[in-house]
Amino acid sequence: MTSRIKIDPISRIEGHLRIDAEVDGGLVSKAWASCTMWRGIENILIGRDPREAWLFAQRFCGVCTTVHALASVRAVEDALKLQIPPNAQYIRNLILILHALHDHIVHFYHLSALDWIDVMQIPKADPVKTASLAQSLSSWTRNSPQEFKSAQDKVKALAASGQLGIFANGYWGHPAMHLPPEVNLLGFTHYLQALEFQRKSNQVVAILGGKTPHIQNLTVGGVANAIDLDSLGTLTMDRLAMIRSLIDEVIPFVHEVYFPDVCAIAGMYPEWFDVGCGARNYLAVPDLPNGSGFDLPGGVIFSGDLSAARKFETAADPDFRRAVTEDSTRAWYKGGALHPWKGKTQPDYTDFQDNGKYTWVKAPRYDGRPMEVGPLANVLVGYAQGHPLTRKWTDEAIARVSAVAKGKVTVDKLESTMGRYAARAIRSAMLADLAVKHCELLTNNILNGDVATHNPPQFPKGEVEGVGTHEAPRGTLSHWVVVRDGKLANYQAVVPTTWNASPRDSQGQVGPYEASLLRNPVADPERPLELLRTVHSFDPCMACACHTFDADGREIAQVKVL
Amino acid sequence: MRRVLIAGIGNVLLGDDGVGPFVIKVLESQYDFAESVELADLGTPGLDLPVYFSAADAVILIDSAKFGGDAGDTRMFRKDEIVCTPPRTRIDPHSPALRESISLVELTGAMPRDLLLIGVEGRGFEPGSPLSPPVRQSIPRVIDAVRRELHRLDTWCEPKAGAGIPAVWWDPICEQRKERECACYTSD
Repeated sequence: MTSRIKIDPISRIEGHLRIDAEVDGGLVSKAWASCTMWRGIENILIGRDPREAWLFAQRFCGVCTTVHALASVRAVEDALKLQIPPNAQYIRNLILILHALHDHIVHFYHLSALDWIDVMQIPKADPVKTASLAQSLSSWTRNSPQEFKSAQDKVKALAASGQLGIFANGYWGHPAMHLPPEVNLLGFTHYLQALEFQRKSNQVVAILGGKTPHIQNLTVGGVANAIDLDSLGTLTMDRLAMIRSLIDEVIPFVHEVYFPDVCAIAGMYPEWFDVGCGARNYLAVPDLPNGSGFDLPGGVIFSGDLSAARKFETAADPDFRRAVTEDSTRAWYKGGALHPWKGKTQPDYTDFQDNGKYTWVKAPRYDGRPMEVGPLANVLVGYAQGHPLTRKWTDEAIARVSAVAKGKVTVDKLESTMGRYAARAIRSAMLADLAVKHCELLTNNILNGDVATHNPPQFPKGEVEGVGTHEAPRGTLSHWVVVRDGKLANYQAVVPTTWNASPRDSQGQVGPYEASLLRNPVADPERPLELLRTVHSFDPCMACACHTFDADGREIAQVKVL
Repeated sequence: MRRVLIAGIGNVLLGDDGVGPFVIKVLESQYDFAESVELADLGTPGLDLPVYFSAADAVILIDSAKFGGDAGDTRMFRKDEIVCTPPRTRIDPHSPALRESISLVELTGAMPRDLLLIGVEGRGFEPGSPLSPPVRQSIPRVIDAVRRELHRLDTWCEPKAGAGIPAVWWDPICEQRKERECACYTSD
């Protein structure tokens, strides 16, 4: 029997991603990823002053504000061939790192952990056993029986009240959930603790950026932070020390809680290293410039062949500049495959057509190929190049997962649903190390007497093109600008979720979500938990958030027997 | 002194969805507030919202809402009315996260005691469009509601002497007629 599952959280203007899957004999045989909201937001920028574009770009998406702001100023700087001072580089890097840590922590604990953790099993857990299990995994100081007991009491109180509130819609008791009660309690307790560390990461961004969620300190040519070690209201040694102490609080949560939790849970769901392999082509751009190179490596991998990985030497490699196109054949736009500098955003809406147009997301391609972006691409590209920090944390993750799974999990198994979770934890562990490094780079540079933060831009007559890249929490982000006589003549943002949620193209090649859903098991089409696990593994984020409070709730998964 | 957070929520590039941040700009430019009152334009924070809740004793949110009214209608929701419908399964971090954020902060025990959502029914959500006329006209009513709630919370805001122009840099109408904006939105 074939059935069709539609997961569609939208009503009018909210929610953005719809997944359709045909399930045949308990496995997905066809899948479609669709963005249900028009993304013509870049058109707002045409004709504007390139120096203010980042303010608008920062509003594309409410969760990824800083990443768009940064890609925007980098695009204009690239067009002007404008270098920025080291202090500006380090301040930007620290904002990026802390934003990414915040984002990855939220993704794991608050957006996806409950796909794996069965909250309704928590009352059965023994807090003392949970504590001894937790203490065997990590030296985290808040793994005491009292902490676990207190978290368990919260769940018991909710269950007793009959008002499950936040947990009312989970797929509890689903056959694909099989953690022991103690592991469910462990993960849930850290879910509650995570909020505090989210806040601390955010404080660092607020100190450096002036405000959150919309930072105020960027400018084309650098940052607007004034550095004066003797004056209040500027970046002083006291503030740098405060930043350092916040970083020192966030790091243990990443290294001693998030990373070991993901490794342990992954080891208990080893079958999910065999599900959800996607497009098998990977793209990451180098990021975190450190004066002599980049602390996050970039490059491309095709067909999962790590031995033939190609490395990018610069933030916008000549190959990258040349190879990217966006294909609108199956998307609700006019035009075929165009380079982003020539890109157009002209709507051509039909209804949802399985064999025609079915989404507002264009299909980005790299030399004609669909590419997966995100932490998995980031980790595989680094691993293939022998990047020491990537190797260190990947090898550590693999050893931990293998120990729990009681069987060897190899690097190639990272190309999977669970591999994406593991890669995000690996990347976070790396970023936690790099937070310290970049805080020290900034402090030492200032102590050496350099207080420069900005090089003023000069706009030439005529036309210049630029691309600003950033390896964002969800993967490679690029903003493409054409500046004519000091005004924006074109603006295209190719965002990570566009790469991953890409539809089919003129060649009929499916996008990464669609590829990863093929052969996913579905035990119960009415409760498609397995599909959510795979889609969530990419950390979807449709870049044009529109948030409206909806007074009604509504079920989102619909199933139709074909 | 009770710490009050007044936060506008919504995407400023999508027409009426930006009413919350718009009101924040009007409040900032035209009113003085007690020291313990903080104003914030939070955009569309999704599940980042809890980060901003935990430092406050009371929260006033202004957001575009869908409750079946006419464009520009306003409606107040208290915390219990918001959380009475369970949050839905989410696919992406943007799906409205208000219920979920409140429930999450409540679980950690850090939830502000008072929470009021002032919802404004929107009409147009086209990228780059200004607030629609009925939503613009609702702003004095929204501001009155904010002032009443501040009063109820034993704190205050008062019209500023020499009120400035709201810095609504994203709104095409405000950009064109900066000088007229000032007069348009004062409640009273």
